[in-house]
Amino acid sequence: MTDANFTDKDIPNPRSLTKTERRTKRRKAAEKRFRAYGLTAILAGLTFLVILVYSIILNGLPAFQRTVVSIEFTLSAEQFKEAEAALLKTRVYSNYFITSFTDTVNGLGLSSEISSDSIDRIVGKIGGTLRKFYRNNQDKVGQPITFDLPASSLVERYFKETFSRESISESNRFIRAEDLDLVDALADAGIIRQEFNWLFITGVDTGVDNPGGAGIGAAVLGSFMMMTVVLILSLPVGVAASIYLEEFAPKNWFTDFIEINISNLAAVPSIVFGILGLAVFIQFMHFPQSAPLVGGMVLTLMTLPTIIISTRASLKAVPPSIRDAALAVGASKMQAVFHHVLPLAMPGILTGTIIGLAQALGETAPLLLIGMVGFVARYPETILGGFEGPNSALPAQIFNWASRSDAVFVEKAWGGIIILLIFLLSMNIVAVLLRRRFERRW
Amino acid sequence: MYDLPHARSDVINSDCKISARNVQLYYGDNHAIKDVTANIADKTVTAFIGPSGCGKSTFLRCINRMNDTIDNARMEGTILLDGEDIYDSKVDPVQLRARVGMVFQKPNPFPKSIYDNVAYGPKIHGMVRNRSELDELVERALRRGAIWDELKDRLDEPGTGLSGGQQQRLCIARAIATEPEVLLMDEPCSALDPIATAQIEELIDELRQNYSVVIVTHSMQQAARVSQKTAFFHLGNLVEYADTGQIFTNPQDPRTESYITGRIG
Amino acid sequence: MPLSWILLVIFAIAAAGFWFGTSRVLKSVDQNVRALHSLPSYYGGNVSMWVLVPSLGVLAFWSLAQPLFIESRIAYLLEERMSNQGVTLGLMMTEVRRVADGLDSAVTENVMTTEEARSMRVELTDIRNRLAEVGVALGANVTAPIVHAAQQYHQLSATGNMFKSITVIALALAGLGYALLRTTKDFRARNAVERGILAILLFAAMIAIMTTVGILFSLIFNTLEFFKIYSIANFFFGLEWAPSFSGRGGSSSLSVIPLLWGTFYISIIALIVAVPVGIFSAIYLSEYATPKVRAFAKPLLEILAGIPTIVYGLFALLTVGPMLVTVFGDNTVGWMSGGTAVITAGLVMGIMLIPFVSSLSDDIINAVPQSLRDGSYGLGATQSETIRQVVLPAALPGIVGAILLAASRAIGETMIVVLGAGAAARLSLNPFDAMTTVTAKIVSQLTGDSDFASPEALVAFALGTTLFVLTLALNVLALYIVRRYREQYE
Repeated sequence: MTDANFTDKDIPNPRSLTKTERRTKRRKAAEKRFRAYGLTAILAGLTFLVILVYSIILNGLPAFQRTVVSIEFTLSAEQFKEAEAALLKTRVYSNYFITSFTDTVNGLGLSSEISSDSIDRIVGKIGGTLRKFYRNNQDKVGQPITFDLPASSLVERYFKETFSRESISESNRFIRAEDLDLVDALADAGIIRQEFNWLFITGVDTGVDNPGGAGIGAAVLGSFMMMTVVLILSLPVGVAASIYLEEFAPKNWFTDFIEINISNLAAVPSIVFGILGLAVFIQFMHFPQSAPLVGGMVLTLMTLPTIIISTRASLKAVPPSIRDAALAVGASKMQAVFHHVLPLAMPGILTGTIIGLAQALGETAPLLLIGMVGFVARYPETILGGFEGPNSALPAQIFNWASRSDAVFVEKAWGGIIILLIFLLSMNIVAVLLRRRFERRW
Repeated sequence: MYDLPHARSDVINSDCKISARNVQLYYGDNHAIKDVTANIADKTVTAFIGPSGCGKSTFLRCINRMNDTIDNARMEGTILLDGEDIYDSKVDPVQLRARVGMVFQKPNPFPKSIYDNVAYGPKIHGMVRNRSELDELVERALRRGAIWDELKDRLDEPGTGLSGGQQQRLCIARAIATEPEVLLMDEPCSALDPIATAQIEELIDELRQNYSVVIVTHSMQQAARVSQKTAFFHLGNLVEYADTGQIFTNPQDPRTESYITGRIG
Repeated sequence: MPLSWILLVIFAIAAAGFWFGTSRVLKSVDQNVRALHSLPSYYGGNVSMWVLVPSLGVLAFWSLAQPLFIESRIAYLLEERMSNQGVTLGLMMTEVRRVADGLDSAVTENVMTTEEARSMRVELTDIRNRLAEVGVALGANVTAPIVHAAQQYHQLSATGNMFKSITVIALALAGLGYALLRTTKDFRARNAVERGILAILLFAAMIAIMTTVGILFSLIFNTLEFFKIYSIANFFFGLEWAPSFSGRGGSSSLSVIPLLWGTFYISIIALIVAVPVGIFSAIYLSEYATPKVRAFAKPLLEILAGIPTIVYGLFALLTVGPMLVTVFGDNTVGWMSGGTAVITAGLVMGIMLIPFVSSLSDDIINAVPQSLRDGSYGLGATQSETIRQVVLPAALPGIVGAILLAASRAIGETMIVVLGAGAAARLSLNPFDAMTTVTAKIVSQLTGDSDFASPEALVAFALGTTLFVLTLALNVLALYIVRRYREQYE
């Protein structure tokens, strides 16, 4: 292959097809390398996904298990009276409990000496829990009641094998080696056991003294309320705006301006929407802080561009012949849109809305700014009041737990992520099914 | 050996460059080419004519294995280039395409400068050792593409900025630059105006001196003007293949006659 | 009358109006629907529209304006009386609102009579205990003037609410009457209703603009406040970020430079991870992968884009950070002292951006016409030569746009840096150092109980403005480039 070939074509061409030239070999190798880069990139992406999912599951699953100390306890009427009359009421309840607990353990024939501090370290100070129970259920006084008490943070971790006997130091005031001996004995006796942690799913946030009892239920409800607000506000507004822009808007600078506006809003960082919510809704309009209503409004503004963009795409996918057919039988333009175009575009619109909602559900940053990270340890009393009152939200609760130092809270944060991802996954599956079910080829 | 003024009589005797034997091609379930057998001569312009969808472009793409890039295409039979089977598993389509160049229906200059468009082929095939050789090669290709005089002062401009006819001649020059032996042209003039078409046809006639040119065309006049041999395809069959003059004056098959008289098309 | 009642009444009037309108127009033509210009329901709809739109509009406007109006009056009163007590007006107003709310709920829950709520004196009644019964705890700083102001607040809003109810319901009735009068058989009800609907649609579309205006308003207004008490030059050109915790101004150094440096450093690391992986994935998926592999790998990669950022934040803080410490920590090379660092946040953010870059690039590579690829293959180029020398150069503008969009994402990302990057503002080149970013500081300055008037809180708005301008510029540029690119091949 020299230039001579070019001018002198009469010489038979020496290039054979089956004999691979050296240069071609090099090019083939480059081809293989390039292909390998691509494959490596894909595999890298998938590896990251696997690591992420693996660490979520590994760290989060233990949150769905809890360690309980299950013990029968009877409070006599005199003890109740005496305790209520005392100055340090919960202290008295604690003492009753410790006595009873020691008796039970000794009755099982566990010979080891039990100190009251040891019991405190295993189940925590439970006087408050007992008092609350008996004050609310005075008829239970005098009857034997089995209490399932959450074990303390370190005992919990001991059972989940994230905390080992070897790591106990002499100065550790939260747990001693002899406590763990007792724990092992109690576990053998079936008094300490592990069970599915319903409390994590139905419960509310707790203070640092009771990490094992913390649950995500209230936060899930808060998120659900916010999503209701987002759905109620963003679907009608988003669809109305899209219909205007796609079907009715004249082509002029103002329409262009709205369109550019929407595409830019879709890319504005979510934290900026948080600033908007803080300044306009809370500072200026004095809406309540930490309320799902306000959170929902902020998330609506954030989600609207996404919904508008996908709704417009669905409207655009309806062929013009449908509109022409409706107009031809004498429908007004508005009737053509509302009677024919909109119903045909509806599956696409709903799919887009669900995806927008899923995005809103996981959003955290704007919620921090409107104060949805407060400590909310109860369910709202009324449904409507719940929208205005302080409430938590799923991602905000996860953030909150992640910032606390106790390892059990961190585990709860991972558990919360599993719940969040289950919600997101089901929303996306619904969206995919909806798309499959109603997919239409024109 | 190649006495050009008497080309018409020469073609029959000239070497067989490409030989297709019992070629079948399927797109999925669609049988696009049905048992085509033909020899294509060297230093000759061969025209493929026929109505739309008759398989003439598909057959053309078989000759440099461009159908490999289509996922569900499946080919049977053999095509020999200088006696070597181009569908042999040892054959590298890349080497094949360096010898069998192709020009497409729509001009498709790369979004690069005119110079880089032409230099692309020689560069990837390692045909030159240094810049001055490359410059020479580019100039020669552009001259052969009959476009040098128009473009010599604007080699740095993007190829996409040229007119349609210039773009197509640039694409021809680009194909010539890799020094192919066969040049396949898939309706090269269908997107061009009559003046540009005339320029391209003139160019094809010149290229015949060095290459075996195969041209697919919709226009029977064009086939009559530029080719020495003509093949008529219909519904995936090669109906008739003969000297151009014979096809247009004395077709043997009734289908060919219907087509050239305008009754099917 | 509470809001829900007003709404109920208005909707009842609207429903009645629909019925009246429909039956009136039907009666006027003796039930002969064909004699009407529009379908009967349009006449009813027109009446409902006239009832709802003006009254709800006024209701919304009034509800927003009344507190603002009352507050400015109360603030004026308070300022006159308490100008020398050293408590900021903002804090006092918060107390006033709380007490007034307490009085409101005390009256609704019948703990107090209306009369009591208006005339009670701090000296005379144990207002503290009474309010505690409805769950409002008063601090020690609730003095007589504050309670007095709260009582006035309470009274003004009670009066305002009464007038609001009367006005709104009157307006609804007026709309009803007007629309019913116009309901005759020749009235073009459909056109009227459709004009109304069109106006509603336009209003919905305007919400996008109002959102932008809202963002600009909240950013600019508070940023100007900030620059009144803190020098612009120090903010933009200072080199130190050290807010004082006492909260009373003066001693804080609030410069954006260290935060911007952290932001850019983390974003650059993120892009170093995301761009090659994303682009090569896109190339593989669009050029090499069989349809089966593509159908499997593409959605899996896109899962990464659907995962909320809080998850990535936790992943950075609790998995990637500790992992990096075991590799680069004190036990090995000693480069890294804590899990939160620029490299941690950057790496995780890069993972988050991979699908973003890859799906945008995928679209863009697919938009490169097949004829260019054919041209290159026709010359005997291999697939990788075609991609590198023809497809990628052709797709370059689009890919640059995609990278800019990814960069804007990275700059605006919050949760990953809040959890993964650390809290210390630092001008350092070491990627293993903890640093902080603009977004992380916006969060930390605006959460917590700082006074909104202090420079430490207001600086967050200046940071927000900086962030907004940066990302907006990147987005506008990127969208422009991408749009130009698409037009080229359409």
